[in-house]
Order: sequence, then C-alpha cells, then structure tokens
Amino acid sequence: MSNQKKRNFQIEAFKHRVVVDPKYADKTWQILERAIHQIYNQDASGLSFEELYRNAYNMVLHKFGEKLYSGFIATMTAHLKEKSKLIEAAQGGSFLEELNKKWNEHNKALEMIRDILMYMDRTYIESTKKTHVHPMGLNLWRDNVVHFPKIHTRLLNTLLDLVQKERTGEVIDRGLMRNVIKMFMDLGESVYQEDFEKPFLEASSEFYKVESQEFIESCDCGDYLKKAEKRLTEEIDRVAHYLDPKSEEKITSVVEKEMIANHMQRLVHMENSGLVNMLLNDKYEDLGRMYNLFRRVTNGLLTVRDVMTSHLREMGKQLVTDPEKSKDPVEYVQRLLDERDKYDKVINTAFGNDKTFQNALNSSFEYFINLNARSPEFISLFVDDKLRKGLKGITDVDVEVILDKVMMLFRYLQEKDVFEKYYKQHLAKRLLSGKTVSDDAERSLIVKLKTECGYQFTSKLEGMFTDMKTSEDTMRGFYGSHPELSEGPTLIVQVLTTGSWPTQPAVPCNLPAEVSVLCEKFRSYYLGTHTGRRLSWQTNMGTADIKAVFGKGQKHELNVSTFQMCVLMLFNNSDRLSYKEIEQATEIPAPDLKRCLQSLACVKGKNVIKKEPMSKDIGEEDSFFVNDKFTSKFYKVKIGTVVAQKETEPEKQETRQRVEEDRKPQIEAAIVRIMKSRKILDHNNIIAEVTKQLQPRFLANPTEIKKRIESLIERDFLERDSTDRKLYRYLA
Amino acid sequence: MGISKDRIKFNVGGRLFETTATTLANAGRDSFFGALFDDEWNLSPQDSVIFVDRNSDCFAVLLDLLRTGDLNVPANIPERLLHREASFYGLLDHVRTARWGPFDGNRLRLSDSVKGIAPGDGTAIRAGPDGGCCVAHGSVVHVFDWMLEEHSPINLDYQRVNDVGWIDSENIVLSACERLGRGDGGMGLFSSSSGDLRYKFQVCHENQVKSYTAGALSFSPDYEIFASCKGRSNEYGIGVWDQITGKQTDFFYESPGWSLGDADKLQWLNGKNCLLVATLFPRKDNCYISLLDFRDKNMVWSWSDIGSPMAIDEKRVRDAIAMEDSNSICVVNEFEDLGFIDLRMYGGSVRWSSRSKLMKSKMPDEPCYPKLALHEGQLFSSMNDSISVFCGPDWVLTSRLRRSYGGSICDFSIGGDRLFALHSEENVFDVWETPPPPII
Repeated sequence: MSNQKKRNFQIEAFKHRVVVDPKYADKTWQILERAIHQIYNQDASGLSFEELYRNAYNMVLHKFGEKLYSGFIATMTAHLKEKSKLIEAAQGGSFLEELNKKWNEHNKALEMIRDILMYMDRTYIESTKKTHVHPMGLNLWRDNVVHFPKIHTRLLNTLLDLVQKERTGEVIDRGLMRNVIKMFMDLGESVYQEDFEKPFLEASSEFYKVESQEFIESCDCGDYLKKAEKRLTEEIDRVAHYLDPKSEEKITSVVEKEMIANHMQRLVHMENSGLVNMLLNDKYEDLGRMYNLFRRVTNGLLTVRDVMTSHLREMGKQLVTDPEKSKDPVEYVQRLLDERDKYDKVINTAFGNDKTFQNALNSSFEYFINLNARSPEFISLFVDDKLRKGLKGITDVDVEVILDKVMMLFRYLQEKDVFEKYYKQHLAKRLLSGKTVSDDAERSLIVKLKTECGYQFTSKLEGMFTDMKTSEDTMRGFYGSHPELSEGPTLIVQVLTTGSWPTQPAVPCNLPAEVSVLCEKFRSYYLGTHTGRRLSWQTNMGTADIKAVFGKGQKHELNVSTFQMCVLMLFNNSDRLSYKEIEQATEIPAPDLKRCLQSLACVKGKNVIKKEPMSKDIGEEDSFFVNDKFTSKFYKVKIGTVVAQKETEPEKQETRQRVEEDRKPQIEAAIVRIMKSRKILDHNNIIAEVTKQLQPRFLANPTEIKKRIESLIERDFLERDSTDRKLYRYLA
Repeated sequence: MGISKDRIKFNVGGRLFETTATTLANAGRDSFFGALFDDEWNLSPQDSVIFVDRNSDCFAVLLDLLRTGDLNVPANIPERLLHREASFYGLLDHVRTARWGPFDGNRLRLSDSVKGIAPGDGTAIRAGPDGGCCVAHGSVVHVFDWMLEEHSPINLDYQRVNDVGWIDSENIVLSACERLGRGDGGMGLFSSSSGDLRYKFQVCHENQVKSYTAGALSFSPDYEIFASCKGRSNEYGIGVWDQITGKQTDFFYESPGWSLGDADKLQWLNGKNCLLVATLFPRKDNCYISLLDFRDKNMVWSWSDIGSPMAIDEKRVRDAIAMEDSNSICVVNEFEDLGFIDLRMYGGSVRWSSRSKLMKSKMPDEPCYPKLALHEGQLFSSMNDSISVFCGPDWVLTSRLRRSYGGSICDFSIGGDRLFALHSEENVFDVWETPPPPII
C-alpha cells in the first residue's frame, strides 16, 4: 500500500522539474567550502581530490555554477582578509618574510582550489566570460592584501628602504627581495608599475640627485665618471637580481639623467680634469668612460664633440701660427701628423671609432691647416724629405702608411694647386739629381694624387717621369752611334719637355772644353733624330762626378754640381785663381758662383779648395787654391751646394705670384663653362658656383673672380644685363 | 621500485582499472588526472585504489585513448555519453583530435548526416575552424559544434541571410538583407556558443551611416572583413572592416558598367594581396570577375563574358575560384564543365575542359548550381548529389563523394579537417572526414 502510494507520488512529481534535493547545492557547497578552509589551513592531507572535483562538477552540471563561483570568491576573500591581519601584525624585519610566506601559501592554495574547480573554469566561466579562477585569486590577493591600507605603504617603504640600504653598501636579503618583487610582477604589469616601479624610480631619482651633487663638489671629472659608471652597473645588476627586466631601461635613464645629463657641462669643462685635460694627458680610459656614459644621454656626445673640436682648433691654430714651430717644415708636418695620429687613436680607442667624431677631427684639421699659407709647401717638403732619405730601410708597407698619412693632410688643403706647384719643383730636383730613393714610392704617391684630384692634376708630373725614361733611351742611342766615346768623360743628358718641368731661365755658363765638345756631339745627334726641336742647356740643374788627385796623392771622386765642376776644372791648369778670374772663365752668375765657391771652400771636411783670406763669406777680392791636404774617410765625396731648402721670402712671393697667375685662366675657364650652360646668372650665384667648381683645387678669391668677370666682359665673352646690372649674360 | 611506483589503480564506478602514471600524463596538467597527480594533492600510497564515481565503460574508452591516441567507441556507448565523460575528465580536445585525421579529399568517409528542421532551401553551409559548422536557412543560421550538437540559432533581425563566415571558433559573421528604412539587416558578429549578437557593422557614406544589404563575405589573415554591399543610394561596392575594432576602414565603389555590390563570391588572395570579386549569371545578365587591390584602389585584373558568343548557352559561368599556385581562375558551368582563365593575361578567354558529354546523365528534379572549393592543391566541385575531387597540375578527377539521400547539393564547405555538404531536400547536411591514419 505504502509502496503503491510512493510510486504514485513519484510519477506525479516526475511531471515537474527534477530537483534532486532542494538542499543539494548548499550541502555540496559546504563540503567544498570546508575543503577550501582546510587547504588554507594546510590541513589538506585528508581531502579526496576525486570527491571535491566531482562535487564541483556536479554543481556546475546542475546549474549552480554561479553559486559555486561567488562562494569561492567569498571564501577566499575572507581568508585573505585574515591573512592580511597576520601579516600586518608581523614586527620589523619579519614583515616581508611573513608576507612572502603567506604569498607562497596562497599560491599553493590557489593552485589546489583551481584544480578542484577545473570543470567550472573550463565550462561555466568560459561561457559566461567571467574571470578565471587563477587570475581571480591573484586579484583577490591584490585587493585584500597588497592594497590593504595598513600593508600598502608599509610594504612599499620597506622595499625602498632595503634598496636604499643596499645602495649605501649594506648587504640585504636579495632572495627575499626577489620573491616579493616577483609577487608584484605575478599580480600583473600594472600592479608592479603602480605599486612598486613608479615610487622606486622617484626615490631613485631623489637619491641620485643628492648624491651627484655631493660627488660633483668633491670629485674630479675622472673620479666622478668612475662613480657614475659604478652606480649604473649596480642598478643594472639590481634589475638582473630582483627586478623586472623591463625596469632596466627606466632605472638607467634615471641614473643617466641625474648623474650625467644634469651635470654634463660642468663635467666636461671641469678645471684640471675635464675633457681638455684628458685629451692633453692621453687619458684614454677616462675618455672612453666619458664617451660611453655621455652617449646614453641626449646631446651628450654633441657636448663632448664640441669641446673636443674647439680644443683641437685652438691647439692646431697655435701649432701652425707659431713662427718657432714652422721653422723646420719637416718637423712642422711631423707635428701635424703626430697630432692627427693621437686624435685618431683617441677616437679609435676611446670614442668607439664614432663617425661624427672623425668628421669633427677632419673639419678641425681642415680649419687650422689652411690658417698657415705655407702648409702646402711644407707638406711637399716633408714628402721631399721622406723620398730623399727618410724612406731608407723602411718596408713598402710602411712607406704606403706614411704616404697615406701625407695624403690625408693633403686632403685638408684648400690650395691644392699651390701644393702641386711646390711638388713639381721638388720632384724635378729629386729626379734630376737622382736623389729619389724609391721609384715605386714616387709613383705610388702620384697615383694617390691622381685618384684624389684627377688626371689633370698629375699629367705634368707623369710627363716628368716619361722624360726621365725617354732620356735613358736617348742616351743609349747616343752612345750606340758614337762607340768612340767610350773613352773620356761620360755625358748624361736629360731632355726635359718645356712646360712639364718648372722652368728657370737658362743661365749661360762656359763649360770646360772636354764637356762642351761632348755637348755639341749630343746636340747634333739629338737634333738629327728629332727634327724641329730646340735644345738649351740647363747647366744650373746638372751634376758631375770628377776624379781628383790631391797633393799627397790622395785620390777621391768628387760629386759636384755642374757649376762646381766648371770651377774645379779650372784648377787643372792653374794652382791659384782669383774670384774675378773664375768669374770671367766660367761666366756663372754672381750669386750662383758665390754659393758654389762657398760650398767648395767653406764647408768643413769638404773643402777641396782653400781661399784667402779664410772666412765664411765669399768676397770679390778673394783668391782660391787647391787644398793639398784634403782628406776624407770616404773615397767618394759629395760636395753639396749651400742652398736654402725652404724658400726665401722673395722666392715665396714669386711662387705665390706664379700660382695666382696660373689661377687666372682656371677661374676664367670655370666662369665660361658655367655661363655657357646657364646663359644668364647673377653675380652672387656665379661666385658661388665658381668657388664650388674650383674647390677641389683651390679656394678662389671672390675679388679675383670679380676681376676675371670684368676681364671677360672686356673681351666680349659676357655682358651685363642692360636693366639689372647684377645679371651677366653669356655671349656666344 | 621505479616500475611499481609508476603503477596506478582505479576503481571507476565499481570496475577496477590498472594503469601507469606515464599513460595518465598524456592527459596534460589541465585535466582531472593532471590535477590528481599534482604533488599538492598528497596521493595516498600507491597500493591503494583511487575511487572515481563515473561511468566505467567510458573510462575504459578514454583510458585506451590516453594509452594509444586512438579512439575506439563500442557501439553500445552513445557519443553524447562519451563526450560528457570526456568533458568531466577534461579530455574533450583529446577526443576531438583522435576522431578524424588530417584532411585528404581522396580518403574521405561519410561520418554523419544531420537532419535539419528549417523550411525551404539552405542558403549556405560554412565549416568552422575546429570542426563545427553553421548552416544558413532563410533568415536563420544554425550553429553546430564539432560534436554536431546544435547551439542557439542566430539571426540579424530575422532578415534574409546572404552569407555567413567564421572569424574563429568563437565568432561568426552573418550578412543579411536590409529592411527598408529601419537600419535593420547588414552585417553582425555573433557568439558561436551562445548565439548572442556582439557587434553590428556599419557602412558610412560621406560620414553618414547608411542601411545596406550585405552579400558575399571574405576574410584576410590581416584581420580584415570584406563584404559586397548594396546601399540605399550610391553605396554599391565592396566594404572593408577591421575585425578587431569593428570599424569600416575602406570602401571600393563599383564603376559604371561593372558589378561589385551584387557579387556572389569574394575570395581573398594572400599571395597577390588582392580580393577576387565574382558576380555570376543568375544575379546579373552577365558574369563579372575582377581582382581588386585595395592599397591603391585599383582593379588589377578583370574578365567578363559580355560580348562572347551566346549561342552556347551552356557555357555560362556559375562559380569561380582563384588558384594562386597555378595563376589561374577555375570556373564551372551548370554541366560541371571546368574552365580556366589565365590570371597573367588581361582579357583572356575561358579554356573549357570538355567533360560534359561524358558526365551529362539524367538531371535531377531539382537541380542545383555547381560550386567550387579548393583545399591544399585539391579542387572540389559539387554537381547534383555528388562532389568531384580533382588533383594534379591537369586537374584529373580522382574521387567522387556521393550519397543518394537528401537531394542535390546546394552548398558545401571544407574546414577543420572536415567537409560539410548541404543538400537541398530535407535540409540534411553530410559530414565527411578523413579516417585516422592506419595502424601500420
């Protein structure tokens, strides 16, 4: 009966919604809630995961997902509130440890709770777009513990305190620090940034502001930079040990700003230890440090570069304008090269080979080298010196290095045509006297000049080499056709093309009979093979080797100039000659003769003749006789000519004038070229374009350009516009 | 010792199972087993038996799945039950990956047929990225997950649906006709699981929001949505929206004498950075196919059958698909003749490959226009109640999928390693899968 009733009742009930047990949800939740408590109390060993998982699953399955979710949040919140009180109660140093301990416990518990609620996480939360269990647990910790008023500021202050302690040299528990900071990072980027990073950066900024002020008052520049560098590495180290790697950039920029950017000017200009001092004293390490630190801040390198540039210019200006220092051209150029090498090394080792610094170096050199108008001459003399003797015993590679350095200086020159002029003179002397040490080196330099300035620049120089080569062949032909000449004196003629060589007015001079016979033979041979040419003798450029036997039978071979040979040959016929007699016999111009006699009679150790009276200078009343007692260690004796290496003032003027003269056609050619394409142009633009076009060779003087324009107008190449006087027209 | 420690005993619903921790580790950490064996849950000593209050038959199947990676479901276990149990253990994804293998048009097997309840012909069927699909009927779209369980249907103000497409497994875009003067219709973004409308896309013309009819849809990997649009006044053309912001980013207006806003088919060509737009015969009197480059608003290639001899009426293009690898567009007529147009030439003609004589058999009572699809070098073409598979450089017919039940195929779609074919009668759709790879 009762059975029957029960069945009826069940059938009746079945028509309605099936509710297993009205208290089912509450009961199940109580089980889960108890479990959460146990987990938090670290009493989870007796719990059955399977049972809890199944209960949570059933709640979701029976549409109690919402109850489960809110229940989990409420329970966890209550627990965290309790924990925060415990943490707060911790005294002094144990505060952080307690926080870290509770945080670890929470993480462990959260992991277990997430495991239990896994099914809810995957289905209910997914479809309702609520926050998942794990991030929710972190949010609850953030809101109830980290942002708990009594913990929030205390936590921050404790952390900042520890950093401060570490900065002042104390050892702190980095592991604990790392764990706590890691907690901020786990709670999300915004929590880390707002609750720790921002205040940390502010405190750091304050700290370094004070410290940098202290340092700058008490340290010199080098020490200051060392300290700044140390601080920087410390901060980077700190980030690596216990901060978010993303903080590195931020904290270093704080240090950079406070320690470097704010004191940049003062550091660079610091007296007795600033940048200039470092440069003067070759403090590469300090310079490198400065570069690396200043590079980190805006305008840092600009400041360094500016100071270096102005120092370089000042130094260079002194170097090139000091009359004492420009006495010896070779030394002058060597000094320039040394300075360049030094700054090259600075830039290379300390400034990381920075391009902008190299540019600054170049522009500075360009600036001051051209302050001294004689720089082109001196550089050519330097090359001359090197090619005459300086290159002996040096390998080809080293020669190239020296030549490259010279080319570097050459590049700085504005008046390259002046250099060319001098170079031509010096080269001619080297070639004719056979003094050049290395033909390869000569040619290598020519090639360098050619690549730098183009074919035109070197065509005449190359012509000189060609002449030398042709002359060799000519001589071979000459002696081939005159076999009888193998006896007696040998004549070597170098036929120079007019125009290729720096010409000097041919000085007439009476050659000794033996020589002039040979000369005539050569003349007729040469003109016989080359018709329509004119030969004139440049006796002032020749040399001769003569054999001499002195009073006691000492035999020597004397290497002398043509003029000196003419003089010495006279003594074959007479023992004693007066100045007048010599002058008459040789017809050498007086200044040359005097110089020639001076070198024969007055140079100690090489005085093959003697003069009366004995004095340094040659007088017109002097008389000369062979020095019978002449001795020398060497069989061959080279008698130099007393000749000023550097140009004398009038010579300099002359060269200058010649250069100016040579420039005129070039300027005119440039004007015509430009006007031909432009047809019409105003004055300022012509000046600008001409200057630009001629820049690779020399810096054209605007007044000179103006003069050339006027000259061209006179010659009907150009005309002024009838309405606008500033305009020029090209006349075809 | 190592071996014995590895061994695990379960009592599932009264049946004993013995397995190893290694096998269970295949379930992954985010599963029932992963959590169960985590160190936090002090598992009782290894000789004790872990009780699980679940169905033991399903546990056996799932345990076997973890052991071998193979899914073998005995006939007596309903799919739904298995899926429910897999969901409990957190193994649904394992079941899905084991269900079918990587897609190969020549190894397909019919795995299921789902009968619909919607009235009238289906408009479109679209495969989702994870094995689900959606079917558009009239003004409603039915959404099925990979277990082929139906979710809440979606609609846009009950306006006639023109096209649907999956953005990802959670989001579906639906394009519909406008309702005059009310701003209804257009395009909307829906949740595939709940069917909620999440966003409605707008067309702006000269800074004014216009109501419009959206037609064919296409998506680019750069998170763009393309749709053919017909607006109230001048907004005929192709609209472009950003998938992330939902904002309209571009609009390609159709030029006079050409058709874009009526397009039946859009296809994004990733290699060419172009959109294929095809407006085909029944919608307009002529067929228009063009490639649009949106970077410089240029129509870089176009083809139309205007002026071609109309005598051969059977050669009307009914569907088109671009094949970037062979630089051509494949077209099909209503007799399932395939034709090819060279993309490298401007103004080329269709090169028909004549198979129609061979194929022309009896026409069904209710014919459907053929459709084309391309998947990893295999070309698919539907005709009547079957789908042909073509392979190789010369597009040789290699397979034919046919099932007599359900009438002719009005649309089909490939995605999530499955092929879905929608039949015109009784709204049944078939699911074709590649079986898992053989054992040896």
